[in-house]
Amino acid sequence: MTHKVIEEGAPLRGRAFLASFIKSFLPAAPLLLIVGFFFLFPIARLIHVSFLSNENTFTIGNFITATQEPYRTGFVNSIKIGLFSAAIAALPGAIAAYFIETRGSSKLRRTIAVMNGVLANTGGIPLAFMFYAALGIQGQLTKILKFFGWDLYSGTFSLGSFIGLLIVYLYFQLPLMIIVFSPAIVSLRREWSEAARNLGASQLNYWIRIGIPLLFPSFIASFLLLFASGFSAYATANALTVGNLPLTPLQIGGLLDGNVSAAQLNLGKALGVVMILISACAVIPYLAIQRRSARWQK
Amino acid sequence: MKFKFHPALAITLLILGFFVFVPMISAFEYSIRTPAEGGYGWNNYLWAIREEEFLYYILRSLWLSGVTVLITLFVLVPTLTWLHLSNSKVRGLIDGLSLLPLVIPVVAFAVGAQIAFPDFVKDTVLELPFLYFVLALPYAYRALDIGLNAIPLKTITEAARSSGANWLRTITSVIIPVIRGSVMATIALTFALSLGEFTLTVLLHWDTFPTWVTYVAQENILGAIAISMMSLIIPFLILTMVTLFIPERSTQRRK
Amino acid sequence: MRAKRLIAAASAAALTVGIVVIATPASAVVDICKAKNVTEAGGMDNLVKLAKKEGKLALITTPRDWANYGAIHDAYEKAFGVKITVDNPDGSSQYEIDTMKTAPKSKQPDSIDIGPLVVAQVSPPGGKPLTSPYQVINWKDIPNAAKDPSGLWYGNYGGKLAIVYNTTLPSVPTKAADFSKAEYKGVVGITGDPTSSNQAFMSVLAASIGNGGSKNLADVSKGLELFKTVKAQAPLVKVNSTNLVTGTAKLGFMWDFNALGVVPAAKAAGLDLKFVYPSDFVLQAPPYINAINAKSPNCANARLWQEFVYSQNKGKTAATLTAADLKLSGSKLFAVMQGGQNYFQQSGADPIMSAAMTKKKLLVPSLLDFEVPATAKVVGPATIADVLTAREQIIASWASL
Repeated sequence: MTHKVIEEGAPLRGRAFLASFIKSFLPAAPLLLIVGFFFLFPIARLIHVSFLSNENTFTIGNFITATQEPYRTGFVNSIKIGLFSAAIAALPGAIAAYFIETRGSSKLRRTIAVMNGVLANTGGIPLAFMFYAALGIQGQLTKILKFFGWDLYSGTFSLGSFIGLLIVYLYFQLPLMIIVFSPAIVSLRREWSEAARNLGASQLNYWIRIGIPLLFPSFIASFLLLFASGFSAYATANALTVGNLPLTPLQIGGLLDGNVSAAQLNLGKALGVVMILISACAVIPYLAIQRRSARWQK
Repeated sequence: MKFKFHPALAITLLILGFFVFVPMISAFEYSIRTPAEGGYGWNNYLWAIREEEFLYYILRSLWLSGVTVLITLFVLVPTLTWLHLSNSKVRGLIDGLSLLPLVIPVVAFAVGAQIAFPDFVKDTVLELPFLYFVLALPYAYRALDIGLNAIPLKTITEAARSSGANWLRTITSVIIPVIRGSVMATIALTFALSLGEFTLTVLLHWDTFPTWVTYVAQENILGAIAISMMSLIIPFLILTMVTLFIPERSTQRRK
Repeated sequence: MRAKRLIAAASAAALTVGIVVIATPASAVVDICKAKNVTEAGGMDNLVKLAKKEGKLALITTPRDWANYGAIHDAYEKAFGVKITVDNPDGSSQYEIDTMKTAPKSKQPDSIDIGPLVVAQVSPPGGKPLTSPYQVINWKDIPNAAKDPSGLWYGNYGGKLAIVYNTTLPSVPTKAADFSKAEYKGVVGITGDPTSSNQAFMSVLAASIGNGGSKNLADVSKGLELFKTVKAQAPLVKVNSTNLVTGTAKLGFMWDFNALGVVPAAKAAGLDLKFVYPSDFVLQAPPYINAINAKSPNCANARLWQEFVYSQNKGKTAATLTAADLKLSGSKLFAVMQGGQNYFQQSGADPIMSAAMTKKKLLVPSLLDFEVPATAKVVGPATIADVLTAREQIIASWASL
């Protein structure tokens, strides 16, 4: 017990140094081992194979094909869907998180956190079915809206269109936003708003000068996370479209599932690697922002 | 403080509730249809439960999800506690690592798994909980990280340790109860993800509850819808009930 | 003197034993995984015996409501006491090929049922074939164009594409060109992605011949045009059972042999579906193809399954097999059972051996309640070369339709 505390401060030599070195990594070993084997290893293989031609020689041909049509449109669409689905979920989610965290009782907050956990993971066929049942061309809600004079389907709207997909994606993006943004709200100390009021600032002033600037980095960070989520969503888009809305995850699925011409055996893997790069562009800034704001959140 | 009515909150919850529950209710309505007799009934649910393989598959998915939750808690809680306490240099690395699974589309990950793993791994169903753990990692790690951030971790750890508790007791009897909310949220996320995971499971040639549902859907469409509804609503209800009935714990922040 | 006689007697005895040993059928020496036909498997009795011992058959992507597979599975399971498992029933042919390449031994299928678009991958140039050669009893009755000469793969059943529609549509559709009618806006679709699903691919081909492209089966531009017109009105919906039930999808092409499974399932869900052949041009598609996986874990069942699926017999189904029948020896039991080819025939699929079976008067009537109208011309079957060319067209333009 106490000897551990003493150990921490003493200078280290030889075996003790090695022991301390191991100690600084050992507790993380289980996590690193699991993530290393079950995740990094498959991804590494994926990256390796993406550089192989059909004859197993090194090539960047797969990546060159990946930048051409229809894959280029796929990337553009996927990025768009990531951005838009994040955009429409971000502000409502942030506002909802604010009210829930500041006004809700502890029980309510925890219940909602749990519900959000389940909702953020809905997707694929069950989610598609729920929306077809509600907003499909013969959906319950569609019928009600029609009764009130608004025919959803008079134009070219469909759940399998870009806009339709955005609406369905909202179902899991919104809970995700609430989950990811709530900690920022929680760390906005009540003391600060009280202090501001005591110093004579109005509510609005508080928000403009203090609240929003403090929340902004976390907001952007959450937005980036939502982007990554919408960008790589697969099962839901698969259930709603028949390949006529080019999206990279679907194209990867198609290549790995049936769309194989002799020239493209490893094209799907190359597309996957490019997706990783694009997502990384969103996730790295997220991490940077989070590390910064974690300092004042503690 | 108990029954204070906040209009803003009420409106928020109303709007959210509408958005969340209308699709669910619409789908639910299909699952209680009984075309043979006209009108509504529980036939489809009864059929589902009586299907000889229903119990087998739901238990299978439940225990796989359970194992995933256990792996998540056993691995993440001690590791995160240590990361927070020791201010180790690897923390940034692990933070980043934990987000990586979010960045990969599941289908690409599944193909990587197909070509990478040796046969002895692919032969055992136990590969699934570890893979689900990886998929849930971004969310689970975040939830626990946030929970640990919000408590005076160093203080209570030192208090527990100086009172004679070893690390195991400290974690299980002191830390986990204090971050109860986060732990519950983590369990909910991980459980929901594992129960509903489809793409990875199918591409690795396993059959669990979600894959069985699509198989069974061919002959009894409404029955399959009932099953889907159950697999969505039941974890929802259970987890919500459990959360509602856990006694409150006050966390006093002394900063 | 006596010793000489003893030696002579002993040698005679040894010789006799030796002759008897050699003459006995070597059932213990049969390597069932290398058997290329039922004779090499030691005869039908032996094959059934080995299959019963194995007790398992691993199939892949064969749903129960597809071409009467449900009934075929039931009959096989009941007769031979074998448990059939199906990996990913909704999967694609490419999934089957990938599984054979990458899955661990415990997850390998015994027999595959693939579409013509992926059959070239079964024997990659310069590599080992993914399948084991096998020739069923009536091998000669499979047309040459539909099989690999060494038995690596063989056509099984083919189908025609029919229009499936929800009877709540404002008018009855009669041909492919009707798909673009304004009154069908928003509910027209396709069963999947034609760049990866065989049925969806053939739907585009069927649309093509119904839109003026019946002369050249390698060119599906007319079919793409038709779907493009439909898509301009509203995005295409996925035609699957749940979407049909919710009314999201009401019109599309489907294999005629799926009608027997889809219509009753729909009815049970409160949905009135009808199948009808287009009144102008009906597409006869190239057949689906069977093969035995080289990595098959249950070799005897893999082969017995092929024999069963290619059996031309008329006979009993799972419902009518009696306990007494089950006690018969393998070959006798086999003889009283209805063969796979007739099961396919009943579902409306065209069994590959139908020409020979018609001559031998073994073909049972189809149970489909709709027929090719007199006004329609049956086009096809498309050759594999046609189909591969058409597919390149679709891959190039489907996403940007």
